[in-house]
Amino acid sequence: MLSRSRLRGPRRATKRQVTGRVTAGLAGLSAVALLAACGGSSSGGGAAPASTKTGGSSASPSASVLAGGASCSSSATKITFWAWVPGMSRAVTAFNKSHPSICVTLENPGAGLNEYTPLSNALKAGSGAPDVAEIEFDELPSFEIQKQVVDLTKYGANKYQNDFVSWAWQEVSQGSAVYAMPSDAGPAGFYYNSKLMAQYHLTPPKTWAQFATEAATLHKANPKSYLANFSATDLQWLLTAMAQANAFPYTYSGGSKVGINWTGANQMKFASYWQNLISSHVISTVNDANNSPLPNQNLDNGVTASSPLNSAWAPSYFQPDAKKTAGDWRAATLPQWTAGASVSADWGGSTYPVFKQSAHPAQAAEFAEWLTGSPQAWTILKTSPSELFPTYKALLSDPSFKSLKYPVSGSSEPNQVFTAAASEIQPVQWPPFMTEALNQALTTFQPVLSGKETLQKAFQTFQSQEVSYAKAQGFTVSTGG
Amino acid sequence: MSDTALSAPREAAPRAAAPRRGGRGSAWSRRRDRRGLWFITPFMVAFGLFTVVPLLYAIYESLFTSRIIGGTVFSGFSNYSTVLTSGPFWGGFARVVIFGAIQIPIMLVIAFFFATVFDLGVARFGRLFRTIFFIPFAVPVVVAALMWGFLLEPTYGPITHLANVFGFSGTNFLSSGLLLPAIILIAIWEWTGYNSIILYTALKSVPRDVVEAAILDDTPLWKIVVKIKLPMVRPAIIMLIFLNSIGALQLFVEPEILSYQGGSITNTWTPVVDVYNTSIANAQYNLGAAMAVVIGLVIIVISVGSLLFRRRSGELA
Repeated sequence: MLSRSRLRGPRRATKRQVTGRVTAGLAGLSAVALLAACGGSSSGGGAAPASTKTGGSSASPSASVLAGGASCSSSATKITFWAWVPGMSRAVTAFNKSHPSICVTLENPGAGLNEYTPLSNALKAGSGAPDVAEIEFDELPSFEIQKQVVDLTKYGANKYQNDFVSWAWQEVSQGSAVYAMPSDAGPAGFYYNSKLMAQYHLTPPKTWAQFATEAATLHKANPKSYLANFSATDLQWLLTAMAQANAFPYTYSGGSKVGINWTGANQMKFASYWQNLISSHVISTVNDANNSPLPNQNLDNGVTASSPLNSAWAPSYFQPDAKKTAGDWRAATLPQWTAGASVSADWGGSTYPVFKQSAHPAQAAEFAEWLTGSPQAWTILKTSPSELFPTYKALLSDPSFKSLKYPVSGSSEPNQVFTAAASEIQPVQWPPFMTEALNQALTTFQPVLSGKETLQKAFQTFQSQEVSYAKAQGFTVSTGG
Repeated sequence: MSDTALSAPREAAPRAAAPRRGGRGSAWSRRRDRRGLWFITPFMVAFGLFTVVPLLYAIYESLFTSRIIGGTVFSGFSNYSTVLTSGPFWGGFARVVIFGAIQIPIMLVIAFFFATVFDLGVARFGRLFRTIFFIPFAVPVVVAALMWGFLLEPTYGPITHLANVFGFSGTNFLSSGLLLPAIILIAIWEWTGYNSIILYTALKSVPRDVVEAAILDDTPLWKIVVKIKLPMVRPAIIMLIFLNSIGALQLFVEPEILSYQGGSITNTWTPVVDVYNTSIANAQYNLGAAMAVVIGLVIIVISVGSLLFRRRSGELA
């Protein structure tokens, strides 16, 4: 079974699919992994045939036209669109039908880096890039700094501002410019095995202090069980946790100045909190940043009782892996650092920019705006196999969306928690070199998992690695804090 | 050559025949040269386009530095000084040297053993088993690594189960401590058959009369193998040592694939893994090019060393 990993992508649009080492060259591998995934989860709904099709044909963008083209009229303006969300072709077909003067052709180069590498190359080469492409929130600044994305305010993007949750709009904006349309996201919640927790008389912790106490209680009562797993190598997840703790280490608002602070007071407080739990062995440290099926297996076989910072897409994502515990999983508001507060954070999600290479930026922008900001598009994208969790407010407040039920969560309605969390997220500023950071983290944080190094020490190492990379790339780096 | 020239009386021929023969000979050899050119052209074009040009381009690229802020500037040898002083890069080198130092001898001993068994004809169905042992070489390395990744997987992998049965509970072959031995195992599986076929061919070329003489002298079998056959296939063994060493320095696919299956592979695990991560994930193509050139130089040094060594020991003319 495919797990939450670099290769999980083709099933979910929301989280980083491909970090560090995956490239188009390994398309064959992802195809194999996908076949395995689909074999194991045909009943789960997450991996519908469409995902096999999209994931398996990743290496060459031009080899995998999935929608558009043939059905358009010959006079229509041609728009090329790259994305890897499963089932995206349904939305493209609907757009082409309702907009006969525009003809969007969808191509799927593969998830994450499989797309970013050929995309960057085409942008540098000056031709061959699509008009619109799927770019994750954390990668958007890397394209902004290359000055390759169009300011969409020229094409009326501002009128959509209030249709989206404010943090999402801020993450696609830089000053008065809007560089992409936000689409899906992954607001975080406390996702837990209610049966296992109840067995030890534990309730979803309101604060992280309570979380630490419960972690100790559970592990003492059952030495084979842990309240949670801490995978430091999974940088996207780690940054989600840090954002919620007001310890996000980066600041960046365009240009050549970047702030990197992994060693400030908040960061060190965050590190020592988790290191204490790691050192006392009351939580597990299974590597979650690669393709190991272990983390999901542990959730299902009672080794891990909760996923304390999981995302809105957790129910549909974990569903195929939940065999013994199907029906037992519930969502609750995240534990808080300050009692009584309600702070969430985002884990994953994508945006849709228009590139300067586009010969038809107005039509491309019209498509990006329709895809992210229209009820017609969301009617399609909220359903399987896409199952995107929106930043689009109309859907977030839709009672039928809030009350969606998933077999993994029994009769509960997890979206009640996640839609509430969606508006409690503080925007963060992603550095314009996230690919490097994600890849470096895989190596730097490994000794934390094996117990050879503390999280504090790894933060210090990572700080110096990130600063020297940023400086080598010509940035002025501030490390204050 | 020409019948007339050969059949001409020797005494009469020299003066008349020499210029003629020379003339014909050089015309013939010119024609031969041109024909030969046609044969090597496809190779030379491919070699030029896909080896020489990229090599020169890599050297060219390695002299520049491309930054997110500030663009691309000529930076001379600064990438090289970064590579030469990079601890992780040489740490990766040390790892592949250890890998080769363990994997190559073990593999060659096993390969020589099987080659000898086949050569002696003591095993039944020798041809069948030769084919079977050769099969791993025909399996693409990616597929082999995936397969072994599943076998060694820490929760459900059958080999892990076996380790647990024998009392090594909690064994994780993909953890940082056991990963190198695991990859050595995979490489031995992949390459032993290929090496034993080469050694088998070398053993086949040992003159029969030498062996027969030894048999007539009542030489025990182990002595024939160790004292006669082994020294006579020494050139093949030395060639295999160098070829396998070059292969070891380029170790990439096995660690890369295992990293997707939970292997604790760092970004700089081997030099080529380092080149790949530096170029693709870190977008430092120039630095990656400099690393690749350095690895290439090390391999050239080994190759030239191998040629000199083999020439000195009289194995090459």
